[in-house]
Amino acid sequence: MDMLKFIAKRLLYLVVMLLGVATLVFILTKMIPGNPVTAHLSQRALNDPEVVAAFTAKHGLDQPYIVQYFYHIRNLLQLDLGTSIRTNVPVLDELMRAFPATIELALFAIVMAAVFGIFFGIISAIKRNSIVDQIVRAISVTGVSIPSFWFALLVMFLLYYKLGWFPGPGRLSIAFSAPAHVTGMYVIDSLLEGSLAKAWDAFMHLVLPGSVLAAFTMGLITRTTRSNLLDVMSMDYIRTARAKGLSQSKLITRHALGNALIPVLTVIGLGLGNLLGGMVLVETIFNWPGVGQFAYQSVMSNDYPAIIGVSLLVALNYMVINTIVDILYGVIDPRVRCS
Amino acid sequence: MKKRILALLLAGVMALGLCACGGGADEGGEASAPAEGGNVVAIAMGSGFDTMDPGYCYEKYPALVINACYETLFKFYSNDGAAEPCLADTYEFSADNMTLTITLRDSTFASGNPVTSEDVKFSLERVKNLKGNPSFITDTIASIDTPDEKTVVLNLTQPDSAILSKLTYSAMAILDSKVVIENGGTCAEDASTADTAQSYLDTTSAGSGMYVMTSYKPDEEIVMEKNPNYSGEATNVDKYVIKIQPDANTQMMTLSGGDIDIAMNLTKDTFAEVEGKDGIVTEAVASKTVSFIMMNMDEQYGGPVSDPLVQQAIRKAVDYAGIQAICGEGTTTPYSLIQTGFMGAKGERSTDYTNVEEAKALLAEAGYADGFEIDLTVCDLAMEGILLSDLAQKVKDDLAQIGITVNIVPQPWAAGYGDAYRDGTLGFTVMYWGIDYNDPNVQLEFMPGASVGLRAGWTAEMDPDLAALYNQAMEATDNDARTAVLEQIQDGMYENGPFVMIAQAPVYLGYNERLTGVEISDPYVVDVTLINVAQ
Repeated sequence: MDMLKFIAKRLLYLVVMLLGVATLVFILTKMIPGNPVTAHLSQRALNDPEVVAAFTAKHGLDQPYIVQYFYHIRNLLQLDLGTSIRTNVPVLDELMRAFPATIELALFAIVMAAVFGIFFGIISAIKRNSIVDQIVRAISVTGVSIPSFWFALLVMFLLYYKLGWFPGPGRLSIAFSAPAHVTGMYVIDSLLEGSLAKAWDAFMHLVLPGSVLAAFTMGLITRTTRSNLLDVMSMDYIRTARAKGLSQSKLITRHALGNALIPVLTVIGLGLGNLLGGMVLVETIFNWPGVGQFAYQSVMSNDYPAIIGVSLLVALNYMVINTIVDILYGVIDPRVRCS
Repeated sequence: MKKRILALLLAGVMALGLCACGGGADEGGEASAPAEGGNVVAIAMGSGFDTMDPGYCYEKYPALVINACYETLFKFYSNDGAAEPCLADTYEFSADNMTLTITLRDSTFASGNPVTSEDVKFSLERVKNLKGNPSFITDTIASIDTPDEKTVVLNLTQPDSAILSKLTYSAMAILDSKVVIENGGTCAEDASTADTAQSYLDTTSAGSGMYVMTSYKPDEEIVMEKNPNYSGEATNVDKYVIKIQPDANTQMMTLSGGDIDIAMNLTKDTFAEVEGKDGIVTEAVASKTVSFIMMNMDEQYGGPVSDPLVQQAIRKAVDYAGIQAICGEGTTTPYSLIQTGFMGAKGERSTDYTNVEEAKALLAEAGYADGFEIDLTVCDLAMEGILLSDLAQKVKDDLAQIGITVNIVPQPWAAGYGDAYRDGTLGFTVMYWGIDYNDPNVQLEFMPGASVGLRAGWTAEMDPDLAALYNQAMEATDNDARTAVLEQIQDGMYENGPFVMIAQAPVYLGYNERLTGVEISDPYVVDVTLINVAQ
């Protein structure tokens, strides 16, 4: 019953927040200088009042802002995100096209970041102030501070161009045609199609962009895991457990790690939310047709239905992820559930 | 529970470790072998387009696909040549040049339907009534008659010296009207709201070209395969896979790595990286995209640069050779208004034209012996990969030599610059102009009273003699007469007016040596219907 109440409250909060985001983004897009007519129509077309009139009428831009706003909110309540001014395609369709590519890459990156980040964090904490700790800390600081576009170009240049260890940009090699759309995630769709070679090719295409995206979050996770584990390890109950004669590995896995991982979950959640918003530069360099590229092009052309659509998607991502993280807190630490 | 989490983490680490060690190179090698038979050619090209519906196509790159999948009434078979019949068999202008009668050759759409005059009428009227970016191309077509299945009569609003060139344009591609109507298309006057065929034409093509577009994934890839019903002589390329790769470094690496065969957006630096490499052919030529300095003739906006003497001083102070060096190999500076490569062009402006002392004297004569300070607004666009802000910086340095202090004011195109440029309220700027259809008449927009001229506050009344040449050039259908007028216009704007044409941008192309027939094409980017794989 408590859980149902919790979910209902969250859903209500979600609707209010999404409407708030839509309102805020609508106001902001209208406050930015410039307009979609200039951004979308060519220099020639702008000279023709008939073309300008047809364009503004088609996209409802000839209406007063307040009318545009109410139309937009009315459509949103009917789960209609409107039509992209730039592509003339429903925004929902555009997001359904771009989002699976981003999800696939983001999930790969976050799994990689979490696995390596927690692993390095534990090692670093156990071997505190040793050479291993120094190396791990150097790696995590590098991961956090290295500019992603530069790192992307570096790994592409080295691991694809010079060494040829990994495939180049894109989601699949030229030799393969895209799998039939089921989830939009090429690895899964290729497996569903029964093509292992294609699935492997799609997976290998995830490695370089996924590693670049994972670097930042991995650095944060490593540092958070290390510092939290060290804090927990200095607590009285750990000292008591150690006095009972428990081995170091049992101490960490049975008593310390659970508590230390709670803040790490928050970092993972925020990292995933961040990744699901799309990464323009990395997507551009790796020719990855995700939400980041769509968002960038929408902003550049003042395509406000698309901008609002992306904003709602990002907000929704964070809401869903935060809810999942809250639930996972309870799974890892029963005291959270009780409270 | 915690034990399970740890076990899962360790398993994940091991799995990823295995994956990372798993021979990427080997897999890459497997993938590089074509999975399907036939000659497959992979192309990398830039982004910036959103549809493959010819009725809306205006940007640069869709022209490559439209040219491959559709046919037009006329076509440019070589970059410097004239428009020649394609779907047209014969054509004839009326004595007053107000009517163009075209007979069609026998041709078949990919669907198997024959190409008829009704398809031509439908396609051209649809472009007009969609009221999209390319609709202007039909402005001089008053009406279209179809006396029989193979004859089309275009009734013009005025003699149009560029009509054949316009009929080569992507938007003028001839569509299979039956198929398009079945999928929501209409050419009626309310097509701008009633036509819903774009979503269909974004998934496949409906033309009579050498190829059929079988897949279009925006921002990702386009696939074209041989049209089994093509009525012309096809090349030996069975399939094109076009990868959208906006980043020049990515194109350079994928070309060098053998993943793609043609890279169309190399920059000066990436071109140098692939130049001379085994197995790669490179080409750098001037495109017809031109950058220019605009000085508003209206003193309210232009301030000191509205003075013709100051404009001439700036024209003399610009270091054209330096700008060519910034833009890279293949850059030229047009003599005047019309780029090299167009009919009637008077060639290049000599780099010796720059004369700082003369420029200083002109500035003193204008009453600015001590120079002046001015804002130069520049937007976030790039001309063939060359940032306009880089060109603005060079102009700033050049003008400092004659005492003009330039303050560069950056302003994004979509956040105010575009509006100001269109409204004619920009005082001083560096901008670029890409041609839409491949004809020197596109440049006439820079003349007094024409659309771009007015953006610089240059009205027809300010230079009536020059303005009168505009109509003459538009209506001169005889090539000799046309060339003579175009030359007069170029001389008239050589040292006169608010525009300084500073550079004709280079295009850098790299391709695998296994291909023949690859050439830079202004109207089609690269004409893929001329490419063969060497056997």
